[in-house]
Amino acid sequence: MSETAQATAAGCGAPAGGAPAKDAGNQAIVQGKVTKDGAPVQVGYARLLNSGGDFVAEVPLGEDGGFRFFAAPGDWTLRVLAPGGVKTDRGVSAAIGEIRELEVAV
Amino acid sequence: MTRSDVLVDADWVDAHRDDPGVVLVEVDEDTSAYDKGHIRGAVKLDWKQDLQDPVRRDFIDRAGFEALLSERGISNDDTVILYGGNNNWFAAYAYWYFKLYGHDRVKLLDGGRKKWELDSRELVTEVPNRPGTSYRAQEQDTSIRAFRDEVVSAIGNKNLIDVRSPDEFAGRLLAPAHLPQEQAQRGGHVPTARNVPWSKAAEDDGTFKSDDALRQLYGDAGVDFGIDTIAYCRIGERSAHTWFVMHELLGQPNVKNYDGSWTEYGSLVGVPIKLGDES
Repeated sequence: MSETAQATAAGCGAPAGGAPAKDAGNQAIVQGKVTKDGAPVQVGYARLLNSGGDFVAEVPLGEDGGFRFFAAPGDWTLRVLAPGGVKTDRGVSAAIGEIRELEVAV
Repeated sequence: MTRSDVLVDADWVDAHRDDPGVVLVEVDEDTSAYDKGHIRGAVKLDWKQDLQDPVRRDFIDRAGFEALLSERGISNDDTVILYGGNNNWFAAYAYWYFKLYGHDRVKLLDGGRKKWELDSRELVTEVPNRPGTSYRAQEQDTSIRAFRDEVVSAIGNKNLIDVRSPDEFAGRLLAPAHLPQEQAQRGGHVPTARNVPWSKAAEDDGTFKSDDALRQLYGDAGVDFGIDTIAYCRIGERSAHTWFVMHELLGQPNVKNYDGSWTEYGSLVGVPIKLGDES
């Protein structure tokens, strides 16, 4: 178990923005930032949907607009929700040992 | 039972939050969310520090729950309005927990913190000062809490609803996808369990779907509304959300939450486990 993963694996308590990770290790990480006019969106939610369009996980955005998921390998949809009816979808493919980085402008 | 017995909306909170006998309580997965901003007047409960025994894997005992609510200024006669992030995931868990210790006057804010934030409603950092009380709890109501032996004997006899994501159900993931994946236990699910991810009961904004949509969701998955039900997930919190849907919204009798859930079941020696997408 990597030291970064160990801190949060015991419970479900992920902080805003997602649990920390220094490197991918044996995880399939999808992470990124949400911005509006170049500034981070601090109030909003990132949701991970599977290839069938079903919700799998959700985190509130961090203070830097960031989010992070530890997915299974495969194709996912990242959905961003923010005040003002913002709803933006992005496709992303995850792979073990890799960090897939997304920048989502809303 | 109707929805107004167990749910309130944001307008109700705006109209009634200062009423005597109404207490707003935030319970979040992200336990720091309250400190960054919360609904005015709300107190905080930390699902881990406040509600879990610090040594044994179990809930705080009756005396501990009494001390906790007394310290937070919650009385037996208060109507407790719970809300939290992630579609009220942890707020629904706290709702079940309040019911477990016999607090009947408890409701959820439909949509929780997420809908409140997405609707750009006010959040404050000021922490209310509530005078202490002398709260008295009941013995645990184990008619809503399942233990491991009941789960094993329910295989093939009762509805078992595994409310984790399809990848966790099949054994491809061991935790929700926003958490690291290393765990000690085996992957898979309890044989005969139907996979109805908890989140399917909620809309994107976190509010609950209509009763008709919910009945169709569970019916289509093969849940028999004529027999008893046990819901489980990984550590018993997402399944508390499904317990709320089945027991409080749909009025199903004899629904239990198995809070030991997969982290217990998947570590038991000798119990049957099914891998893959099929029940």
